[in-house]
Amino acid sequence: MRTGVVAVALALFVLAPLRSARAQFSFDARRYGMGGVSLSRDGNARRFNPAYRALKTNSQATGTPKFSIPVPIGLIKFFKDHPINQLSSDPMFDPKSTSFNPFELTNLIFNPPIFYEVKKSPAPTNNVEFTIGKNQLIMNLGGARVLIPEQDFGLGSTSRLFDAGAGFGGFHFGVMGFLQYDVAFTLDSALRRALTDTVTGIRPGDTLSLLSDGVAQGGLAPTVGFAGRLTHGADPATDDGLYIGGAVHYYMGATFGRLTGPAQILVGNPIFGSTPAAGINDTLRTSNKANGRGVGGDVGLVWVSGPFEVGVGVNDIGAQLTWSDTKLQHVTYNTASGNIVTTIDTNHVETKTKLPITYIANAALRMGTGTTVGGDVINSGRGTVIHVGVEQRTGPFAIRGGVSRDQRKKMQFGFGGGLRLGPIGFDVGFFTHSNSLSTERAITMATAISIY
Amino acid sequence: MKALAAALLVFVAACGQGKAIFNVDVYSFMAGSGKDTIPYAIPPASSASASTFQRILLPPGFGKSIVDSVRITSGNANLINSAGTGTIGLQFRFAADSAGTNTAPAALSIAPTTVTGAQTVPVAISGDLSSTINALFTRDTLWMRITATGTNPGLTPVTGKGAITALVIRVVLQDKIF
Repeated sequence: MRTGVVAVALALFVLAPLRSARAQFSFDARRYGMGGVSLSRDGNARRFNPAYRALKTNSQATGTPKFSIPVPIGLIKFFKDHPINQLSSDPMFDPKSTSFNPFELTNLIFNPPIFYEVKKSPAPTNNVEFTIGKNQLIMNLGGARVLIPEQDFGLGSTSRLFDAGAGFGGFHFGVMGFLQYDVAFTLDSALRRALTDTVTGIRPGDTLSLLSDGVAQGGLAPTVGFAGRLTHGADPATDDGLYIGGAVHYYMGATFGRLTGPAQILVGNPIFGSTPAAGINDTLRTSNKANGRGVGGDVGLVWVSGPFEVGVGVNDIGAQLTWSDTKLQHVTYNTASGNIVTTIDTNHVETKTKLPITYIANAALRMGTGTTVGGDVINSGRGTVIHVGVEQRTGPFAIRGGVSRDQRKKMQFGFGGGLRLGPIGFDVGFFTHSNSLSTERAITMATAISIY
Repeated sequence: MKALAAALLVFVAACGQGKAIFNVDVYSFMAGSGKDTIPYAIPPASSASASTFQRILLPPGFGKSIVDSVRITSGNANLINSAGTGTIGLQFRFAADSAGTNTAPAALSIAPTTVTGAQTVPVAISGDLSSTINALFTRDTLWMRITATGTNPGLTPVTGKGAITALVIRVVLQDKIF
């Protein structure tokens, strides 16, 4: 339990910029070798671009495998280092152990040990030094100071939990589940100084504030969509042509909540001469009933011309939900009782929320020489990720390379290779990532068997 | 104090395996309160002691931690002697409550210093505290008593006061907050 608390706290406070890694986790070693770019017509392409419904997804068309089976070398090493029958007393999972390091556990959560870690990111293990006087409190977090975010940080994503339906003649009818959440935190200047300044530290009378703004909403959305081919090339049997797609969603929100406001510590003056007060002065809006309603849509375009393919898809355009029965509550902290007190300000009022617009732009060029170049730009609700990669096939062999810019705006690199023998291939991809608390990149080797 | 320290400990936990080090400026809490001075008066051909005590506050939540060391890193006192010739030594005692400091063994003893007539003699205070009191420093509150023990071999009383001018205690522990 404590382990979980530590891990969640770390994830929220420190690891928030890493949300992209989790969303893009893949078993495809080929993709990792190309810097994370996906040349597949399903997955992200189909998720964000409704025009892809009109295109074939088979591997003959794109050169991508039907599916990949990961070779979990990382798991073998992990269970060798952490025997499964000793996990309960393993220092990695035991907060009582003097070797327990919350960083390592958090890194594990964000980097499932499926693949082999060639170079692990170091888990900070520095000392923390406090200078305490009647009117002085200075913290020196050592190397961990770099973890204190300078700007707002948070978690956020828009997901389509499922999308079930059927269609004919290019039309698609279905129901999808949607979930959107976004949690943002901002440290005010006094709190930042308290955590980073090793000369002045906390000043008497300071108000240290952590500003938060969190929203979550989810529900179902009956959907009507269309995807079709507008034009085709000289040979209609090929994929050449211009494809369009669109979908209209009627959002039926099931639940919604939004919490905004600061959590504060009011420092005494002198600092240790009086008891500091803790303060929470937040507003909480929640739905009383599952009655969020709204309309929004997706549009997409794909153009295929011989070896060239480009697509653009935008989701949740104009998606505004109206919740006709919500309540607004005031959340405060009672310093006397130590309890959080919630009082209703207004009830049975209307509230409007929006779903953020998400998008993808992707392109691929498949040359006759065995070379494939591709790239994509994806924004799934919080920050843009860019991937660019290339693959060169020569006979049964393939070499790959790529670069990407992650949601932390850090450049990452990938390279790898593969051997394909008929319907079966073996791929290996090395990729750098910053899915950890460290500022140093780690390198992971992904291995997979691909079925074509 | 507790709320502030507890909130900030979230970040200590986030710093991975390492040590938590507290440099507690005890003198800053004593200064101006009268607790930073120990008046003494030793009758002729005898010995006597006088003391002062101070509560020390530490961040809460370190009850499961292991204290590596406790040391007075920066300490000074002035023995401001008014009359007589004798020696003054200082002892530092720690306990969980103020009454306990009366019976606690000395965790650090500063060798006696000779004082003569009206003079001010500076005394440096530093050294490791006895490891037997380490566990006390995992508490969020403990008490310290400074005892001045004097001897007077002469025929006139030795009078004066010891004045603490600096006292920083450094606590190093393997932090286990959760």
